[in-house]
Amino acid sequence: MPYLGSEDMVRELRRALSNPNVQSDHLRYRNTILKVVRAMSQGVDVSGLFSEMVKACATVDVVQKKLVYVFLCSYASLNPELSLLVINTLRKDCQDPNPMVRSLALRNMTNLRLPSLVEYVEQPLTAGLRDRAACVRRVAVLGWAKLHKLQASSDIDAAVVNELYSLLRDPDPVVMVNCLRALEEILKEEGGVAINKPIAHHLLNRLKECDVWGQCEVLKILERYRPQSEDELFDILSLLDPSLLSPHPPVMAATLSLFLSLCSGLPAASLSALERVRGPLLAACGSASREMRFTALCHIQLLLRSLPGLMGAHYKRFFCGYAEPAYIKQRKMQLLVELVNDENVALVLDELKGYCTDVNTDTAQAAISAIGRIGRSYSDRCLEILTGLLGLKQEHITSAVVQTVRDLVWVCPQCSEAVCLALEGCEETVQDSQGRQALLWLLGVYGERVSSAPYVLEVFIDGLRSEVSPGVKMELLTATMRLFLCRPAETQDMLGRLLHYCIEEETDMCVRDQALFYYRLLHCGIEETRKVLQGRRSDPSLGVLIGRPAEPVNQWARSFNTLEPLKQSAAETESTSGGSPEPVTSVPRPNTDLSLSSLSPSALEKAEEEDYVCMEEHVHCPAPPRCSPQSLQAALQLVNVQTLAFTPPQTLPWRVYLYTHTRNTHRDQPRDDTALKGFLSILATVLHTLSSERA
Amino acid sequence: SYLSTAVGQLSAPQHGDVSLLVQVLICRNYKGDVDMVEIDHFLPLLMQQEEEGLICPVMSHGNVHFLWIKHNNLYLVATTNKNSNASLVYSFLYKLVEVFTEYFKELEEESIQDNFVVVYELLDELMDFGFPQTTDSKILQEYITQEGAKLEVAKSKVPTTVTNAVSWRSEGIKYKKNEVFIDVIESINVLVNANGSVMSSDIVGSIKLKTMLSGMPELRLGLNDRVLFALTGRDKGKTVAMEDVKFHQCVRLSRFESDRTISFIPPDGESELMSYRINTHVKPLIWIESVIEKFSHSRVEIMVKAKGQFKKQSVANNVEVRVPVPSDADSPKFKTSTGHAKYVPEKNLVVWTIKSFPGGKEYLMRAHFGLPSVENDEMEGKPPITVNFEIPYFTVSGIQVRYMKIIEKSGYQALPWVRYITQSGDYQLRTNA
Repeated sequence: MPYLGSEDMVRELRRALSNPNVQSDHLRYRNTILKVVRAMSQGVDVSGLFSEMVKACATVDVVQKKLVYVFLCSYASLNPELSLLVINTLRKDCQDPNPMVRSLALRNMTNLRLPSLVEYVEQPLTAGLRDRAACVRRVAVLGWAKLHKLQASSDIDAAVVNELYSLLRDPDPVVMVNCLRALEEILKEEGGVAINKPIAHHLLNRLKECDVWGQCEVLKILERYRPQSEDELFDILSLLDPSLLSPHPPVMAATLSLFLSLCSGLPAASLSALERVRGPLLAACGSASREMRFTALCHIQLLLRSLPGLMGAHYKRFFCGYAEPAYIKQRKMQLLVELVNDENVALVLDELKGYCTDVNTDTAQAAISAIGRIGRSYSDRCLEILTGLLGLKQEHITSAVVQTVRDLVWVCPQCSEAVCLALEGCEETVQDSQGRQALLWLLGVYGERVSSAPYVLEVFIDGLRSEVSPGVKMELLTATMRLFLCRPAETQDMLGRLLHYCIEEETDMCVRDQALFYYRLLHCGIEETRKVLQGRRSDPSLGVLIGRPAEPVNQWARSFNTLEPLKQSAAETESTSGGSPEPVTSVPRPNTDLSLSSLSPSALEKAEEEDYVCMEEHVHCPAPPRCSPQSLQAALQLVNVQTLAFTPPQTLPWRVYLYTHTRNTHRDQPRDDTALKGFLSILATVLHTLSSERA
Repeated sequence: SYLSTAVGQLSAPQHGDVSLLVQVLICRNYKGDVDMVEIDHFLPLLMQQEEEGLICPVMSHGNVHFLWIKHNNLYLVATTNKNSNASLVYSFLYKLVEVFTEYFKELEEESIQDNFVVVYELLDELMDFGFPQTTDSKILQEYITQEGAKLEVAKSKVPTTVTNAVSWRSEGIKYKKNEVFIDVIESINVLVNANGSVMSSDIVGSIKLKTMLSGMPELRLGLNDRVLFALTGRDKGKTVAMEDVKFHQCVRLSRFESDRTISFIPPDGESELMSYRINTHVKPLIWIESVIEKFSHSRVEIMVKAKGQFKKQSVANNVEVRVPVPSDADSPKFKTSTGHAKYVPEKNLVVWTIKSFPGGKEYLMRAHFGLPSVENDEMEGKPPITVNFEIPYFTVSGIQVRYMKIIEKSGYQALPWVRYITQSGDYQLRTNA
């Protein structure tokens, strides 16, 4: 076939379509139409053939009709006037003795999506609701929903709504389910289809007739029903009980969701329902489809929030196969961390150790961080594995190990001895900025115990000019300051060079400001510096892994069986594979004992040259923002607030260390209360926005 | 209404070329909630995720979510702007694959191109306004046929099954010889650790029918008691527990629940009557011991011992032991006590094939590979050894067909044929190399 440009192609096709010889030969006619549709789905603009195609619609050949309808429905909105011509053929087809032709015509009449045609469509649709063939009624019912969507403002005839309600009793289960779907759309403004006791019971009784899709639809809609008595509630629950064990994961999930909504006042019943679905959920975890496996894993995580012991005996089900995709492996590892106990810890760690050398670096890093999480309860075993991994001298592995041990010593200070020993030599392997930041933090905090610490920092300081990451520079500043406090003789000279470079030559404002801050701090004297820099080295309260209190089911029941659990997983894996947000950069802490909601000038304010006001403020925020540290930082920078550090998102109270500048400085009045108030209100707004986004 | 905005969309990017040619093959916008141009964001998103190694079956662009699966070289993508029920959407996408595969044998770019009309017809029947409608391929095949593309048959007949009481079988089916073939197939999934302990194992079983019977026959299948007890969960710890038992919709469940009879009117042709999973500790039927020694810069020595841990009377056929080797290995040498070994460099595997492997026997294979003196810096994973096999006339669970009664009102004689096969499923043994 010669290559034709789209214009030539359209011209060629038009000639063929209007050729009487082609029109009289059914097969040639249909093939030409097929060519048009093929061109259309390849993105060629064939809208110019609209009137020729309208003519082709009048045929006895059903397949040809279908092809023409595909074309017409795609281009009708561009040719509302010409589309009027089709309506006659369509209306005639609605009278055809063949029900397939009737349903086809009815479906496409409503698929044209043209408001101007509504008046012609209503009558056939009304007739369609009473058609003797179920396949026509199915289409007609949904047709009303389409019509309503087309002109949502206009009220649909109450008679139609009534008729749809009465069709809930149609013998065909698909018609019944379609009625529910249509009424949901039409009555959206009023909160959807009304579910009273007779309708609810009718739907429950017919549940078994429906296919998987229909059952899910019915179960979803029944969530709106509230039984009037406890007896009724328990009758419904026992009717639904077999569906909890359905081999079809969507039905099982929809049933559980309905259970949880019906039992929202009966926590014990909810928990026993969770126990019931354990088998089917585990079966779904072994499903042939990896997406189904993934979905099941995500939902198991949700269930574990309320029943941490639910899967304890089945931990081996969450061991990873070699060829499984990374997103499943990472999910499984998160689950394994939750399921660790005294009996299985050796096996689980052995298994996780195998994943640390996975070819996928994200999986490897996730495995390492999973071992770190388990280390909060079983620190010796885990540290042994982690330090062993350093021997591999693999860039991404060492980096992940360093980040993991940093997080580990923050919650388990007793590990610091072993960590300090292991740190020697890591600097040669760690290349990425996250890993180096973690290494610097450890060297700063535990510098007195790592003999080579000053030499490592010196290498960093010598390479400062080629350093691109501001985060690394800021961490370096803090680490060097801290090391200076415990090993002044070895560090003094390099600290001077570092501060000089950062204040005089550095272009990043955050780095420069932090250097200035430290410079002025040093002016306040060594004791003052010590007070600010030597904050806490650890926070064992964060390390609760085992014995975490079970959440009530209602906390997550609403997000069950939606996309949410799947999306959350993505965010979580991100934070475990990338640098974890735990003990972030240095924490220049002012007086920690400042009283609540009071603005009290700190010691720093006495510094002669500049006016610093440090304060601690409690801001009420519905939920701590669950977004990544990066996006939080970015959001705050939009309003000129710089973040120094924050605690991990799950901790309560959630703390963040921030600073900003004011424009007008008055020597005598260092505290500008109005500016502070403004600052606080801006801050509160940002936090509220971030947390409501996630809620 | 979860699926109310799902748009069934198929797109096929052609990988392999450096310049990526992207082409959306078929698009159906069922509801119009999601703009058709949104699908254009799918591939860039996918590529981006692939690069970052964070690929995920749900992706979002603005308030539009893409839920996708991959089949051969095709991506099947559902787009929605609602917080939909994920498992339902994936089920539907897999249903699409199932229906298309039954129509075209193979679902791939070529079969979509070749069956353009049928694909459009099917998409129209499978979903309307974003809601799944008729998804049973047996029913669809009654009124959407590939022959429909030829003119004669296109005088579409009314499908009786759309409103029929027995929706999976139409009336008036005729065979000269009435027969039904029953296949009992069990697949063994095993994961064995490098130190030889079985980490997990299960059996996935299925009973498949090929029905060539006239009229509307009533069938009754009798299974051995041990299995029936397990099926109904009435035994207390005696036998293995069956999980995840699924029956074809034709089986009268109420009857099964009351008197454990599996009675049904079968669909015509091939169908799966039931499937089950048994999560139990099975002794791996073919046991592998391996020693893989890697001498850097010079050679790899592989020794693999395979042992048939099943009854002496049974024979495993077409046994394939696939042993991974480093990607930079060269100059292979093999020695086997039986069968023959072959190096498959493009898969970094040695495949050791044994045509017939009787129970209780033990065989040995040795392989020697050279390694280049310059070391490959790239980290390689530790792929497991995998085994494929097939053991006829044998089931691990002990399931047995006791009888198959066939009753039809015309009273014809029909023959049931039964066949048992146990085969390898996901059969992995980790190595210490």
